[in-house]
Amino acid sequence: MLRYLAKRGITYVFMIFLTTSAGYFLAVSSLKPALLEQERIPRPTPEQVASSMRLKGLDPDLSPWERYVEWLTAIVTRWDWGRSPNGAFINAEFGDRVWISTRLFLASIILTLVIGVALGVYSAARQYKFQDRVITSYSYLAYIVPAPIAYFLVQLGAISVNETVGERIFFVTGISTPGTAPGWAQFVDMLAHYAVPTIAITLVGWGSYQIAQRQYLLDNVNADFVRTARAKGLTRNQAISRHALRVSFIPVAQSIAFTIPAIFAGGFFAEKIFAWPGVGSWSIDAISLQDVNAATATLAYGSVIFALGAILADFATTLVDPRVRVQ
Amino acid sequence: MSSEIAAGPAGQPQSAVERLHVAGLHGPTGAVLSVRDLNVSFNTENGVVHAVRGVDFDLLPGKTLGIVGESGSGKSVTSLAIMGLLPATAEISGSVRLHGKELLGLSDKAMCAYRGNELSMVFQDPLSSLTPVYTVGTQIVEALAIHNHGMSKQAKEARAVELLAMVGIPSPKDRLKAFPHEFSGGMRQRVMIAIAIANNPRVLIADEPTTALDVTIQAQVLEVLHAAQEETGAAVVMITHDLGVVAGMADDIMVMYAGKPVETGAVEDIYYNPRMPYTMGLLGAVPRVDVAEKSSLVPIEGIPPNLIHTPAGCSFAPRCPLASEACLDGEPALAPVAGSTLHRAACIKSGSLGGDVDVHDVFSAPPVPVSSFDAIPREDRTTVLQLKDVRKHFPLTKGALLKRRIGTVKAVDGLSFDIREGECFSIVGESGSGKTTTLLEIMEFHKDQDGEVVIGGLSNKQAADARTKSAMRRELQMVFQDPTGALDPRFTVYEVLAEPLQNAGMDRQAIKKRIMELMKLVGLQPDHVNRFPNQFSGGQRQRIGIARALAVNPKLVVLDEPVSALDVSVQAGVINLLDKLRAELGLSYLLVAHDLSVVRHISNRVAVMYLGKIVEIGEVDRVFDNPRHPYTRALLSAIPVPDPRLERTRERIILRGDLPSPLDAPKGCNFATRCPVFAALPAAKQEKCLTLEPPLEPVVPSAAAQALAAGPLPALDQGFACFFPDGELDEDMLVVHDPADRHAP
Repeated sequence: MLRYLAKRGITYVFMIFLTTSAGYFLAVSSLKPALLEQERIPRPTPEQVASSMRLKGLDPDLSPWERYVEWLTAIVTRWDWGRSPNGAFINAEFGDRVWISTRLFLASIILTLVIGVALGVYSAARQYKFQDRVITSYSYLAYIVPAPIAYFLVQLGAISVNETVGERIFFVTGISTPGTAPGWAQFVDMLAHYAVPTIAITLVGWGSYQIAQRQYLLDNVNADFVRTARAKGLTRNQAISRHALRVSFIPVAQSIAFTIPAIFAGGFFAEKIFAWPGVGSWSIDAISLQDVNAATATLAYGSVIFALGAILADFATTLVDPRVRVQ
Repeated sequence: MSSEIAAGPAGQPQSAVERLHVAGLHGPTGAVLSVRDLNVSFNTENGVVHAVRGVDFDLLPGKTLGIVGESGSGKSVTSLAIMGLLPATAEISGSVRLHGKELLGLSDKAMCAYRGNELSMVFQDPLSSLTPVYTVGTQIVEALAIHNHGMSKQAKEARAVELLAMVGIPSPKDRLKAFPHEFSGGMRQRVMIAIAIANNPRVLIADEPTTALDVTIQAQVLEVLHAAQEETGAAVVMITHDLGVVAGMADDIMVMYAGKPVETGAVEDIYYNPRMPYTMGLLGAVPRVDVAEKSSLVPIEGIPPNLIHTPAGCSFAPRCPLASEACLDGEPALAPVAGSTLHRAACIKSGSLGGDVDVHDVFSAPPVPVSSFDAIPREDRTTVLQLKDVRKHFPLTKGALLKRRIGTVKAVDGLSFDIREGECFSIVGESGSGKTTTLLEIMEFHKDQDGEVVIGGLSNKQAADARTKSAMRRELQMVFQDPTGALDPRFTVYEVLAEPLQNAGMDRQAIKKRIMELMKLVGLQPDHVNRFPNQFSGGQRQRIGIARALAVNPKLVVLDEPVSALDVSVQAGVINLLDKLRAELGLSYLLVAHDLSVVRHISNRVAVMYLGKIVEIGEVDRVFDNPRHPYTRALLSAIPVPDPRLERTRERIILRGDLPSPLDAPKGCNFATRCPVFAALPAAKQEKCLTLEPPLEPVVPSAAAQALAAGPLPALDQGFACFFPDGELDEDMLVVHDPADRHAP
């Protein structure tokens, strides 16, 4: 197992290095922070801009290769991912951003998985009955509706609740109200901020898991081994829940394992709409602000998350499927 | 469900009377399972399909009933209806009584008390019948736990070990923790049997339990079933399409056709005195592995009826050569045959079909075709195909990025043989013995191959350019196993047949003419050329496949399991056609088949392969009647023969275990690990088998024959690779079922 992990790890480190380097070259040759500086009022002279950039390690006069070598050396020797054009240190900003994304997505992704899989099983057991049709239709709808629109709708709903009650129960944007007294009041404030984004992301998210779990289970409901289980003396429902479910969970487990690390990577739409400045919105902002180092850092982070997901997916498969062996 | 309902719909007073009569005759005499007027229908998009129409039988304790029929005859549906495992959409009526208790109409939950306890079942496909994610032990223990709530964990485990040992799984204690994928097909079927007999069932239903297995493994599994029946005293319902498999096992037989039993009786009655033309046809359609005398097989023309429309008369009438006006007047009931009470047949002419009627006359089997080459001695005919020391080794590698070679799979290891004009040469062996790889190597025709392949005088060593290759391809054509998969569903028959001709550069007029010829040649109607493959039956599709192969006038046709996907009655027609074409067109065949009966029927010479090597080769009658290699002997003894008396007294060699993985192929003789002769040898002689590889050597006529002929006789057309060809067989591997102890309680 450890050998497998080491082998996989080396492969992924190599892949991450390649994608990140390619990303850096792309960013450094297309993003020009110096141009953005010149739109300031009062307008700085090109020399001023260049020197300010040079101070932050973003010298526009160096060739992309020279800047790449400099950037890479800093990471390898000092674990320093550089600075943004506004002078902020990537390393410092990064931790905050990841923590915000994680807080935003943790609860909702867990809810999404649990509800999605449970409803998938429920609807498969009642194939083509009323409940199945309602649930599955909803899932397809959630699949089709673009996430931002669904988020807005949930926000509108929360606002109307607030208006009906005549009191501000839910906060539709933001992380917390500044200046809330610590203790109980702070906890209530946190819940009020959490509720809307969590509900919105969960409502949109579970559909795909429900559809997948339902489909995989239905593929196995009439399998030969379920018939064998029934021939042993299990009722149809017992045979399905003891035999078909476990087999149908194998592909679902794989996709779940892929999703878990995504909690830490955040999502652009949700972060923007609910005004939680996490990793997702940072990566988009970095591009619009011509921030080479931040854009590359978020890309590298995405690659790491992906690699972790892939390794986790392998583990999940070995865990639930005895036919797969790790070598 | 009450007995009133069991008495059937009120609209059929006759059948109700008949049923009461039958019930009075042998109903209450202690039958474990008694089925009366079982009807099953399914609602489909095309209409209501009556899959089972009025099945009656009684199963006595410890007895075996064989249900025989072709695909679609309703035998599996009958068994699932008894088990209560049909989908809820199936409409079931009639009566199924276990020890007098009605089972039909019970809820799924109520049925669970019987299923796996008193009634149990073994299914056809052992590969998919076990849950892949649970250990074998868990699955056996589950069967015990469901019906024995008070049993302790240790007791259940001990019983599971006992069961695995009973079905012949080595080191059962360790194997409990193994997962199904760690077992071979035969071993998984043993596990299925262990699960089925876990709770000492009174009735064991086996639905084609050996169809998916190799002959040697089939013999093992049948042996296990036999032992299981003896151990538990269960009554067995054996469902099969293979008349050989049930001949030795069954006490009674029920032949089904179009959802109805058409003939029932004791096994001897059915095999030696069939009274229903369909049964006669089925028996005549099966080639025999133990008979050298060549006679054509009995083909049953046509296809089984569509069960959406209830047949007006006898359901077999459209295919029956004896059918007359009277046959279309109502469906004949199962009536006792004169002179017997238990033997019943559903045919109005059963009285006139006594034991002396030859089935070949009834079904007008074609005469045995005679090829003009038969008169020419083999040595004087031209060689069509020659293989010289052909090898195909696959490297076995490990590792993702850096591949290390950890072994070699010798799929084909030094094969040499030749095929002469007008000859059928067959390769037989278990799956994994390298038969298909051999065919692929012949078709590959590449100069970098290991070994030489000469096709019609062209050697693969000269096959540098495309022209030589296309010349070679014209000499050699192939017919595939699955006729459905081998034909493009979007091509009409015309297009299928025109393709090879266009490749050969024929003009349109000539192509059209040739296609009409081909259709007639393979016995299809020429005006059907514009139909698509799905409008033909399986047997007709295989005829199209044969026509396609013959289109460019090849010298040699490679037949890869050409009839294994077909039903017995259809198979006979295709075999007869192949035989006829060989004689008429002077073709040579290279046939790969696992069914040795078919091989014996159609071939002139045969090679037996084991782990990539030929272990015995020679003229088919010589090899089959006087096998020298222990593997050939085992293979031949494993094949069931549709002859109950012979089958019961036959001595059978049951090989241990499965084909070993080619990876750990032993140094000396490949077969030593499973060899019954080797097992009986003294250690000193065993040494030779383990260290030296036996060469394939021709059989030399015995000294006595030499003396009689007063001079050295030429070597016979038979060769084998074994040091101790006529050695004693290990007694543990020999099984004879003494007819006397069969019916002992």
